[in-house]
Formats: sequence, structure tokens, C-alpha cells
Amino acid sequence: MGRLKPNSFAYYRPNSVASALQCLATQPDAKILAGGQSLVPAMNFRLSRPACLIDINGIEALAHVEVCADKVVLGALVHHQQIHEHPSIRQHFPVLAEAAGEIGHLAIRNRGTLGGSLVHADPASELPAAMVALRAVMEVAGVDGTRRIPAAEFFVGWMTTALDTGEMLVSVHVPLSSSSVYGFAEFARRPGDFAYVGAFVERAANESGAVTWFGVSDKPEYRPMSALPRDAAARQAEWQQLAAKLEVLDEPRMRRKLAVVLAERAYQKVEEAKIG
Amino acid sequence: MTVRFEQSKPQFTGARVERAEDARLLTGRARYLDDLDFPGTLEVAFVRSTHAAAKLVSVHAEAASRMPGVRMVWTAADIHVTLDSPEFGVNQPVLAKDEVRYVGEPVVAIFADSRYAAEDAADTVEVTYADLPPVLHIREALQAETRRVHAERPNVMYHQEYQTDGFEEAFGNALHHLSATFTLHRQTAVPMETRGCMAAPDGATNRLHVYVSHQSPHGFRADLCKFLGVPEHAVRVIVPEVGGAFGIKAMFYPEYVVVALAALRLRRPVKWIADRSECLLADCHARDGIHDVDVAFDGDGRILALRDHLMGDSGAYPAVPFCGSIGETSLAARMLTGPYKIPHLSFTIDCTYSNKAPLGAYRGVWGPPASFVQEGVVDRVARALHKDPVAVRRINLLQPEDFPYRTASGFVYDPGSYAESLETALELVDYDGFRKRQREDRSRGVYRGIGISVFVEPTAMAASEAGDIPYEAATVRMEPTGTVTAALGLGPSGQGHETTMAQLIADELGVDVRDVVVLHGDTDSAPYGGGTGGSRSGTIGGGAALTAGRKLRDKLLALAAHLLEADVADIELKDGAAHVAGVPAQRLTVQQLATAAYTDVNRLPEGMKPGLEVMARYQPTRPITFSNGTHIAVVDVDVATGQIQTVDYVVANDCGVLINPTIVEGQIHGGVAQGIGEALLEELKYDTEGQLTTVSLSDYLLPTTHDIPNIRIRHLVTPSESKGGFKGMGEGSLIAAPAAVVAAVSDALEPFGVMVSSMPVTPDQVLEWIDADQEKKVDSVDSKVYFEN
Ligand SMILES: Cc1cc2nc3c(=O)[nH]c(=O)nc-3n(C[C@H](O)[C@H](O)[C@H](O)COP(=O)(O)OP(=O)(O)OC[C@H]3O[C@@H](n4cnc5c(N)ncnc54)[C@H](O)[C@@H]3O)c2cc1C
Repeated sequence: MGRLKPNSFAYYRPNSVASALQCLATQPDAKILAGGQSLVPAMNFRLSRPACLIDINGIEALAHVEVCADKVVLGALVHHQQIHEHPSIRQHFPVLAEAAGEIGHLAIRNRGTLGGSLVHADPASELPAAMVALRAVMEVAGVDGTRRIPAAEFFVGWMTTALDTGEMLVSVHVPLSSSSVYGFAEFARRPGDFAYVGAFVERAANESGAVTWFGVSDKPEYRPMSALPRDAAARQAEWQQLAAKLEVLDEPRMRRKLAVVLAERAYQKVEEAKIG
Repeated sequence: MTVRFEQSKPQFTGARVERAEDARLLTGRARYLDDLDFPGTLEVAFVRSTHAAAKLVSVHAEAASRMPGVRMVWTAADIHVTLDSPEFGVNQPVLAKDEVRYVGEPVVAIFADSRYAAEDAADTVEVTYADLPPVLHIREALQAETRRVHAERPNVMYHQEYQTDGFEEAFGNALHHLSATFTLHRQTAVPMETRGCMAAPDGATNRLHVYVSHQSPHGFRADLCKFLGVPEHAVRVIVPEVGGAFGIKAMFYPEYVVVALAALRLRRPVKWIADRSECLLADCHARDGIHDVDVAFDGDGRILALRDHLMGDSGAYPAVPFCGSIGETSLAARMLTGPYKIPHLSFTIDCTYSNKAPLGAYRGVWGPPASFVQEGVVDRVARALHKDPVAVRRINLLQPEDFPYRTASGFVYDPGSYAESLETALELVDYDGFRKRQREDRSRGVYRGIGISVFVEPTAMAASEAGDIPYEAATVRMEPTGTVTAALGLGPSGQGHETTMAQLIADELGVDVRDVVVLHGDTDSAPYGGGTGGSRSGTIGGGAALTAGRKLRDKLLALAAHLLEADVADIELKDGAAHVAGVPAQRLTVQQLATAAYTDVNRLPEGMKPGLEVMARYQPTRPITFSNGTHIAVVDVDVATGQIQTVDYVVANDCGVLINPTIVEGQIHGGVAQGIGEALLEELKYDTEGQLTTVSLSDYLLPTTHDIPNIRIRHLVTPSESKGGFKGMGEGSLIAAPAAVVAAVSDALEPFGVMVSSMPVTPDQVLEWIDADQEKKVDSVDSKVYFEN
């Protein structure tokens, strides 16, 4: 309380993933610094007091967007605004581009990174839920090599991920799917605020679907639906049933209510996208 | 700087002169307090209470003293100054002693080479608290059995009652009655530049120089000297650029004493700048009041009698020099009938202590609560009688022939355009068209509502949060080259006084506005004055500028007449020269006149003193002049999410003669923005332990550009009796706006039986109302409108 200057800390700026990992392994109490849009405020409030910061912004290998045959690979350092504007992302994952545009304000989106958002794993964040909804896979690296973790398993709880000590997130693999259409909606008091509740809705070609909520519980909540009803009343009943079973963070009445409203609004976007 | 000489001459007054301040403000060249840096400056970090109410068992700061870069550590044992409020018998130690009474109260001060070092040291301080039950609600504080915030004083720290003769009879005889409770939550001003203070002993003069972000340089000096026990000539107060003040910087705070005393003790500069958490915790708070209201009215909607029990939460201490709860309630009570002809008024005021931050001044002070009640009452009467809110306003509004009008509380309104402002605003917003479209909107499930707020703003008062100085002073000096240096005791924080005062003086002296520089904010250069607050600067400060300008003008005319060998009555002063009317060739420039006045004194007429420098004080003839106007807001309510968006906004504003319409409009824009914040977003929340849970701007929601629609303004001009015909207008927009916005919400949600009775209105509240309505509760949870026949 009443603290807005961080503790003193050591600062490193490696230019490769290998040396960043080396640093992470050898420096006690070290933290990776990406866009700093979550970490630096936490440090200024002295809620986070790392002894050492490893600034990865100089690692060019982490800043790429690569379109492959079956997926798009996004480097951990890709900025929110880049996701919002990138033509390939707009083309293949319009819902991801749209959601990235809802993060904070322009200045924050220009600095904040995909990796930072995913590792920070704020339950009200757009990108973790987007990655779960899109069934993305995280590529993480440690001194012993890399491993891949599906998004649904990456987010394990309140601001907690499956990342082990000494590991860092290097990229995200988002599979291309020609058959699904997605919609996105969120509710925030003011544009630019963290969402109170948000939802991604997917309609697959075979009439099945899924909803992924964020801001309701401690992590993104993915719910597959064997059939996504076309009938409004049936759909409403479905949302209500799913929302009723959510383990909500707090203010359960309001959050469940909005979960239903936003799932439906996201669904309406699916319908619009299909027509468009 | 785009005003061309020819274009706006001879009248700068009333013209859209571009603000002299803007170039530096907009290009980052302004120098705020934190930009000042003297070699060897120490910075301060305060350890603040984390408990709302507790005995201080122990304060261990020894470890902090040993931290690197730390030069001194103070606890209550080291500094014995208290901010005394003799009229209440309650004194606040500048560092908490024995007991803490609110979260954020300063307990320990650490002076170090940098703020970083000071905060590192603050981390090592160990304070042991023994909790007491916190007092957090007004109604609780009103109970005699509740623990006393100050053991030696009752929690009710202010009580007042008033009733017009014949009230009970008028109230009892009325055909209809209704009751409602209005609640205003806590908020604070949140200026972009936080509070702060730097003190530096001046080796040359052996005085203390105190730099402070404040609204009243002289008032601040008086308070500081009083608490330090030093004479006023030993202290120079300098107010650099101020990045917003809004009343909270008219207050005096404990930190200032700590900073000044430390500078004297250590003989080196000491600086403290509040961080944003400190701003939310320890700036004066505002609002936090309850009104229990009863209204009596007839079948046409004519309001016959109004009764209000006003309750204000003062916080833990009466703020110095202006206790906000008393200021808000006592003036709200007297202004409660607003622009309406309500003959009978009865009020009871109770202000109570609590374990929350002290309540001080925030723009509008009494006004937003009073407008909320006054307009809320009119709208409830309209709804109860199934009448249009406009119709009920028309029936009750003061008409042109009613002025001067003596209100039920004894104020005398000077003429204004009350009824006209309503009609103007209705036309601007296309009220009739709106009502037609509204019906169609509702049938499509779109809930759009319109809210009206007709306001009266008492301005240029003899007493306000800027102190009890009923006058303002100006010195105006024409330099030997013919350019002009003026100085006033005002304390602007962005209002553009350097421009408006220069406009007035330039017109008096017949010089270009750019040839007038206006100084303020330095007790060495400014004549003693009250500073800025209570919408007084334009009217009283402007009057002083005009008076001083006129005096100097008279001297220039006399001098010119003498030198040109003409009659004074024939001399014209304009475009930087004096000439004989009809004989343009027979002229002297102001520079020639000034040269004569300063260096060629043999040429002066007999009896005329050398020099061109005057000082004048101006005190308006009326104790108050009343501005007025009407705001109308249009909002959309999303009944699925509870989200409220202000989509249209119009203002008809009458502040008498306008000095600079652009500046007036800027004041309105800002006030409306703050009003939307007050109505929909801003709330300081204390939890059940008395912890403030809104200590950053991610929790304390301020309006952003997304929340503010375009605002359409029309000016009406009813001149005041004051010199120049000006009326104040610094607060009217914030006085009117919250009431307009919440009224629009009530209107939008009329199909659900909603009548908003607390601010801010939040989405969860909206959803609750709608749920409650759907659960077939006939009345909305919050309003208890009842009828009696
Ligand atoms: C005013 C404001 C509004 C905001 N609004 C939103 C919003 O609406 N929605 C939203 O989602 N976010 C919002 N944010 C947060 C923003 O999106 C952040 O950018 C994001 O959460 C963190 O990304 P970063 O790159 O800034 O990470 P940093 O702050 O640098 O780091 C965050 C955490 O991630 C770790 N980290 C970073 N990169 C890696 C990596 N590659 N591997 C391992 N660990 C890593 C860091 O060590 C740290 O613990 C807002 C922030 C602000 C200041």
C-alpha cells in the first residue's frame, strides 16, 4: 500500500533463447520480462519482488508469425496489436484478431506480448481463452529441451500454468481449421478494462460446437457441445445449464447471468460471420 | 497564439482568445512540482496505517534508519504538530500518535536520498496494531451506543435544524406525499497530477521556500505558518503548474507539515509527491452522504414542501480548513429547492465521524448531492402523477418575473434564465422527437432514457473552500516598454486565468492580449488573495483585474491628455496607443507614455506620481451571484448486461457575461465528464474492516473518452451586478451532470419501475432491478414512492 517504486533488481538482456534459459537457471529468483504490462505494475506495487529480470525483448527469434500448411505459429514476443492487425491472423483466425483488439488500450497492446499474457494467465484475459477455444498448443523450452502442452492443459488455475521453473514459453501453434466458425463477445465496464466475463463460441461443420468462457472462474472454461442448438430457446437453456455448473470466482449471480448473455452474443457473431 | 491583432481588437473580452497556457501544457514544457529538482533533495515515503481503527501498540522504525540512503526517520515521537480544529475540539497529529483512525493515515515518515531508498526502508518498519471496532456507516455513527471515533467527542460532530414558518401545516395539508432516500457514495477528485510539496531553506534570504501543488497560495502559507509557528514573512509559497486540483488541493494536509519541518531540521530540500495509491487513500474524499427526503405536492405536480434529513460522513477528522461533510450538507440544505419555487423547506443536518479518510472539497461540493435530490424529487412527483417530467418542471420553475427571488432558505437569487435554459436545452436535444422515438425504441427492446437537470450555482461567494476572503486583489504594472505585468492571488490549475485575466486587462489598457503577462501562485509576487475555489476566480478575480486595469487606464488617459494637450474625455486608448478622438495623427504609443511615466518624469502633469503600477482589491456588491442552466443527458441501458452508455448530452448555460467562450466550454466539458464519472463509475469502496479496496485506477473507475459523448452547448447571458457582469461557472457543470445522467437511467428503466436513488449506478444494480421487477415486485427495490389521499 502506498508503494509505487519497485525493489532493486539485477537486469539481463540476453539475445537468444538459450542464454535466456541459462540465465533463468543460474539466477536465483529471476523472472522473465516481456512487455512488462503486468509484471512492472506488480513490481511497482511490490506485489512481485524478483531479484533479477531477464528481458527477452532482444530475442528476435521470438517475434515471428509463421503460416504453415496446417497451423500458424506465433512467437511469444508477438504483440497484442500485431495479433490484432496481422493479415494472416485476420484471415485465418478473425476471432483471435478481434479479441486481441479488446486488450487494454493501444499503448498496452503495443507492448504487451502473447507469451506474457499466456504465462501471466489472468483469468479475465482474452488470449488464454482464445488459445483454449482454438485448441492451440504451447511450445515451452527448458535447459533440457522443448515440450508441447495443449492450451487446455496449460492453464491450471488462478494465474498458474503448467510451465515448470526454469522453463519459458517460446511459441504458440494454432491449428488451421477450415470447418469451424467462431464468435467472440465480452463485457467490461469501460472499453480497455479487463473483461468481467467473456466468451468464445465455436460452431463446427457437423453442428457440434463449444463455448469457452473467461472471467468466470480461475481459468478459461472450455465446454464442448455435441449439438449447438439453432433454436434460440434451446440454446438459451443450454447456456444456462452449462453456466449453472461453472465454479465461479465471486459474484456468482452476476457472472453466471453474464456468461449466458455473452455466450449468446458470441453465438450471434458466429451467425453473422457465416452470413458475411 | 492565433488571435490576430486586428481581428479581435478592441474587444478581447468575450472573444475566443486562444489560451496562453496551452502551448506549454500541450507540448510538455509546463513545469509541475515533480519537475523541480534541487541538488541534494531528499524524498519522503510515508508508512501509512493499514488499519482503520486501532491502538498503536508499537512502531519500530530503527531498522529503517539503518537502511542505505536513509537520512532521517520520524514517528509521532519526533514531531509534535497537530492539525487543530478548535471548533470541533479534535486535533490530528501529523503522524499518528497512540491511535490510527483511517487506512492511509501517515504513521512514519522516511527521508532518503531517493524515493526508492525511502520505500525500501518503509518496508522494514514494523507497526503493531490492536484493532478497535471501526465505525464505517453514517447511520451506525448516529447511534449513541456506537463506539466513538474520538473517545472524548460524540460521533455526531455537526447538527443543524431549519424550518420555514408554517412548514408543518403546508406539508400536512398537501394532497400528495412521497418519500425517498438518496445515497451518494464516496469518491475523490483524482487530479491527473497528484498532490505534493517540496520545502527548501533559502540560503540567501534565510526563509523557507515551499513549493506546493495548491489552489490558494496565501491560504496555504497562513495554515503552514500557523502549524509551524513561524511568521509569514519567513515563508515564501510558490505554486508551480498545477495539473488539476478540483478542491482537494484547496485543503491542508499533514504531509505538508512533515515536509516543511524536515527541511528546516535537515537544512536541505525535502520533497514528497503522492503516488496514485496515496492519492486515493489520503487525498480528501467527497460525497458519502444520505438524504432522507419527504415531499408534499398537489395534483398538478406543484411542490409545496420539502423535508430532508441530510447526513454526511466527515471521515476521521474535520479536514483543514474546510470540513467537507459540513460544506456539502449545509449548502446542499440551503440550495435544496434549486431553481424551483418551493415555498416550504425543512431540514436537519447530521455530520458524523467515521474511520475513513477525512472528507474535504471536491468540485461542486454540495451541488451534485443537492441536484440529485432536487431533480430526483421532481422526477418522482412526475412519475407518481403520470406526468411528463418537463411538465412538472415548467410548473415549478422560477419565471423571469420572480427575480430577485428569496428562496425558502433565505438566499436571494439575482436574475437568471431558469425557464429559458430549460426550453433551450429541450430544443437542443429535440425532446419531443426523442419521446416519440423512445416509444419505438422500447418496442424493439432498446432502453434509451432522457434525464433533465436544471441547476443553480451560487458563485463568487464570500466564503468557500478557498477560505473566507470575500475579495480578490490584482496588481497591474505597465513596464517602461509599454508591456504589462499583472499579478493575482489566484491559484489556477488549468482554468486558463493567465488568458482570461489578460483579456480583461488588455481591453482596459488598449493593448494586445499578448502584451499582458499574468503572474500567480507566488506569495512574493502576488498580492494577498483568496485563491481559486468556489467558482470565484472569474467573477472576483476578474473584478479585481478590471478594477486595477481601470485605475491604470485612468492614469494613462490623464497622462496622455496632458502630453497631447487635449481634454481627457477626448482621449481614446486602443491598439497600443492613445490618440485624440478624430485626430489619429495626434497620438502617443503606450510605450511613449510609459517612458514618460518612468524616466521622463519632468513631463508628468502636476501632482501625478511617477510609474505605472496599481494595486486594487475588488469585493462584489452581492455576497453571492447565481449562475444557472440546464443539462439534458440521453443514455442507453443494455438490460442484458446492465451497461449504461451516455449517448447524447446538451447544455444550456448562463454564467452572465462570458470572458472567453472557449474556456467556459472547456469547463463544461470537464464538469460533464466528471459528472458522468460520479453518476456511473467512480466509487471509493471500504470493506467491512474499513480497508479501502479501490487503491488503483483499475479499481477506481474514471470516465474515459469512450464514456463521454459529444456535448452540445448553448450560451445564455444574464449579466450579474458584479463588475463586468460575470458569474462564476467552475462547478455548475459537475453540479448538474450527475443528476441528469441518473435521471436518464431512471427514465430508460421506467418500464421496470426503476427510480435511481444511489450513485454511482452500476451494471449489477441495473440487473438486480430488472430481476426484481421480473420477480414481480411491484415497486423497485430502491424507491419507495407512496401515495396518500
Ligand atoms: C491498463 C491495463 C489494461 C490491461 N487490459 C488487459 C485486458 O483487457 N486483457 C488482457 O488480457 N490483458 C490486459 N492487460 C495486461 C496485458 O495484456 C499484458 O500485456 C499481459 O498480461 C502480459 O504481457 P506482457 O508481455 O506485458 O508480460 P510481462 O508483464 O512482461 O510478464 C507477465 C508475466 O509473464 C512472464 N513471462 C512473460 N513472457 C514470458 C515467456 N515468454 N515465458 C515465460 N514467462 C513469461 C513474466 O515473467 C511475468 O510473470 C492490461 C494491462 C494494463 C496495464
